[in-house]
Amino acid sequence: MPGKDFLALMLKVGFHRVALRSYTGFKSSPYTEGALFYGEKLIPGQARDDVASQAEPPAAPLTDPACKPGGT
Amino acid sequence: MSPEMTETEIQKVRQGIKAKYDRVAAAGTGGCFQYPTGKAGMELQGYPPEVLKVFPPEVMAAFCGVGNPFSLEPLTPGDAVLDIGCGAGVDSLVAAHLVGAGGRVVGLDVTPAMVESARALLSRLGLGNVTFQVGEAEALPFPDASFDAVISNGVFNLTFDKEKALEETHRVMKPGGRLMLADMVLVAALPPDQAGKVENWFQ
Repeated sequence: MPGKDFLALMLKVGFHRVALRSYTGFKSSPYTEGALFYGEKLIPGQARDDVASQAEPPAAPLTDPACKPGGT
Repeated sequence: MSPEMTETEIQKVRQGIKAKYDRVAAAGTGGCFQYPTGKAGMELQGYPPEVLKVFPPEVMAAFCGVGNPFSLEPLTPGDAVLDIGCGAGVDSLVAAHLVGAGGRVVGLDVTPAMVESARALLSRLGLGNVTFQVGEAEALPFPDASFDAVISNGVFNLTFDKEKALEETHRVMKPGGRLMLADMVLVAALPPDQAGKVENWFQ
């Protein structure tokens, strides 16, 4: 599942301040990479903070993150 | 999940996931993952140095997470934490270390063999604030508003009903609770001949 779809599910079930903070560099295939998601459960009476919520994740790194600068 | 998956394909995926994690429970992480595991994986993901310093090598050797949920927000001493899909329990043990004796951690995993592995590793650390049990993300065996934080590492991508798993996660969290999640996501479109292949579920 793409990160943006997972973010949409998080919002749908009630989380706010949802975000895909970063990718982790760990890949299980050429098409899949680890990502870090964050969200909070609303406190009763608290206004939803959807400004802080992402609908789209930041772009995934284009290069293989296992390759360090200057590496092979 | 691909809506085109047949019941037979779903069963194949379930069997594949179970077989993979039975292998991990029996023989460790070696050869089962495409990315660094064990202590090297924890170091690359920036796990707390104080944890890397005090955890026994055999505990860290069981790490097979895809990221570091603890990098998202700090756990607070005294927090109640749920680790969904705890596997061999490394993140649960890290959480137990971070929340201290006044906190509590529950590690939940669908694979009984992994829960047994987690209990064995717990015995190496002697932490009294963590328990492990068998259960599914889509039907969490806990009352509403039980946890201050929920962590998970490389698990939701393996669930068939992600919306239900997230609903259950939301239900068991206390108001103001934090979800700190590492997971595999698609970052590029699968080639047409790869899309829907059963094997993609447990890569």
